[in-house]
Amino acid sequence: MLIAVVIFMFLAVGSEVAAKVYIDVDSPNFQLFPIAVCDFDVTYVHAAAKSKDSGIELADEVKRYLTMAGFFNPLNKKSFLDDKSARSPSDAIIFADWAMIGADYLVKGNIKQSEKETISECRLFDVIKGDLLFNKKYISAGNDLKALAKNIASDILFTLTGDEGDFNTQIAFVAKKVNKADIYMVNYDGSDRKALTNHRSIIVSPRWSPDGRFLAFTSFKDGNPEVYIRDLKNGSERKVASFEGLNLCGYWSPDGQKLLLTLSKDGNEELYILEISNLKLKRLTNSYSIDVSPAWSPDGKKIAFVSNRGGSPQIYSMDTDGNNVKRITYEGNYNTSPSWSPRGGRIAYEGLINHKYQIFTIDEEGNNLLQLTFNAADNESPSWSPSGRQIAYSSKINSKSKICIMNANGLNGRILQENGGSLTMPMWSPRFK
Amino acid sequence: MKKNLTWIGFFIVLAFSLSMFTGCAGKKAVVKEGAVQDQQITSDQAAKDAAAAKDAAAAREAADRLAREQAEKEAADRLAREKAQKEQAAKVEAAATAKATAEEAVKDIYFDFDASSIRADAREVLKANADYLLKNSAASIVVEGHCDERGTAEYNMALGQRRAQEAKKYLVNLGVKGSAIKTISFGKERPIDPGHDEEAWAKNRRDHFVVKTK
Repeated sequence: MLIAVVIFMFLAVGSEVAAKVYIDVDSPNFQLFPIAVCDFDVTYVHAAAKSKDSGIELADEVKRYLTMAGFFNPLNKKSFLDDKSARSPSDAIIFADWAMIGADYLVKGNIKQSEKETISECRLFDVIKGDLLFNKKYISAGNDLKALAKNIASDILFTLTGDEGDFNTQIAFVAKKVNKADIYMVNYDGSDRKALTNHRSIIVSPRWSPDGRFLAFTSFKDGNPEVYIRDLKNGSERKVASFEGLNLCGYWSPDGQKLLLTLSKDGNEELYILEISNLKLKRLTNSYSIDVSPAWSPDGKKIAFVSNRGGSPQIYSMDTDGNNVKRITYEGNYNTSPSWSPRGGRIAYEGLINHKYQIFTIDEEGNNLLQLTFNAADNESPSWSPSGRQIAYSSKINSKSKICIMNANGLNGRILQENGGSLTMPMWSPRFK
Repeated sequence: MKKNLTWIGFFIVLAFSLSMFTGCAGKKAVVKEGAVQDQQITSDQAAKDAAAAKDAAAAREAADRLAREQAEKEAADRLAREKAQKEQAAKVEAAATAKATAEEAVKDIYFDFDASSIRADAREVLKANADYLLKNSAASIVVEGHCDERGTAEYNMALGQRRAQEAKKYLVNLGVKGSAIKTISFGKERPIDPGHDEEAWAKNRRDHFVVKTK
């Protein structure tokens, strides 16, 4: 476990924090940062350490995490012209050599491993300007290079984008084998997949609480679709909605006190707010049409939802008291699964186009529609990362469905999970500390 | 004395044989009893002994009657038991038949893509379903709404619920008791045809009726 002690050493001239201009990584014209990550110089390795190549391993892990973040293009080290001055001060680096191979940024560092701890110094340079962007020292107990690499990558991302990224997050999803499904979760880097429920039933709509401690979902475990909240700390589960007919789980309020629900108990599908502490219900909609999939805005003031009141399923928004209903989507005749960007402003959803479901985003006023996926699969259930820079979704061809991640502009996709059943309904966790 | 013994022996045999008969036929025993009395009257010499024997016979007869009554009761019980068993078997059989017929008679209805309105062909089916349910006084009906695999799991959950509800409404309008009808949506989670073409989808957009008879 990494206990990061980070020491800032602002050595560079002209590193005025206030003057920082971040690159707009969400722009459709954004080009991946070309970055050169040198193998870390190994200054000391204790005798028991197996890998003598910990410097190479650390560099590889940093590159892996940078790639995952979706904004970096780590250059192949075979193209490096100069890799002998890892310990030299910044003025000794021949930036022209790095610029020549196309690098915008350069990472250099060293690593020292004893049996008890790992110490690494890492520097990030702007190749074009010849500036040192940061110089940090990481001291961690043990020899976990992955955790160290994750921290280094997170700092690089923060320096360049002003955002810590999504490295310390998990993604929940539903895995279905034959007719039995359960909710699983996996780390952002695709590691440590594990089951969160053991219902072996129909199970849909996993929703993290804002603090990441609870997971709400809908399960048919007892025969009918009912809403449960599971405490992920102690594994206890309680039913919070089991009315006649449909009980479907929506998003949590940003303060974690309330849960949005779809219930059919009053005759047809309507949206409700459930106060979790006392299970009190407040009805929000009153329309003879399907109202479903409510999603809270990050500022807590609005709720996006799906309704077919206009003749086809479309995305709408309303105030949290049910007033001020506004239609958001007009393109196409099947738009569902709204998810509000944590940074506000935009809503991701899935829409039917050319007989396939694709992921779109649109701003909350209904303008600036952007199609993000274009392939031959059915791409569904978008869920934003906490940074708002990436989107997880399920991608289905016939019965085979996998979980993918892409940038919020649709670029740089990767597969997060694809085996062990049909994987659907990804839901991104908040950041864990 | 020897004669007396013979008489007693005669009566014992007679009584024993009587008891044999009384078990299954009371009437016959009564006739034989009469014959015994005749013999007693015609036999003057043994009148006294006969009287004593008669007492013994009467005692035996009482015992016989008791045995007879018990046997009759047992027979009646057995009959009742058999009857109950038969009735039970018939009930089970009838229920099985009723279930099979209910499943055959109460047919699925189908929907258009992203629609929950009852189609013209479904109206006919629902009418026939309602007729059957009313005639057979079904105890409970569960309407299951299903969708095809296209589209959102959540939206399809709502759509399936709507499909079930629309059929319930239709059945209630035709006179079926609303309180006996429950609805449940399985969304797109339980397709009947696992295919990925319109033929499969058309089969999967359905309401299925699960009927329990009384």
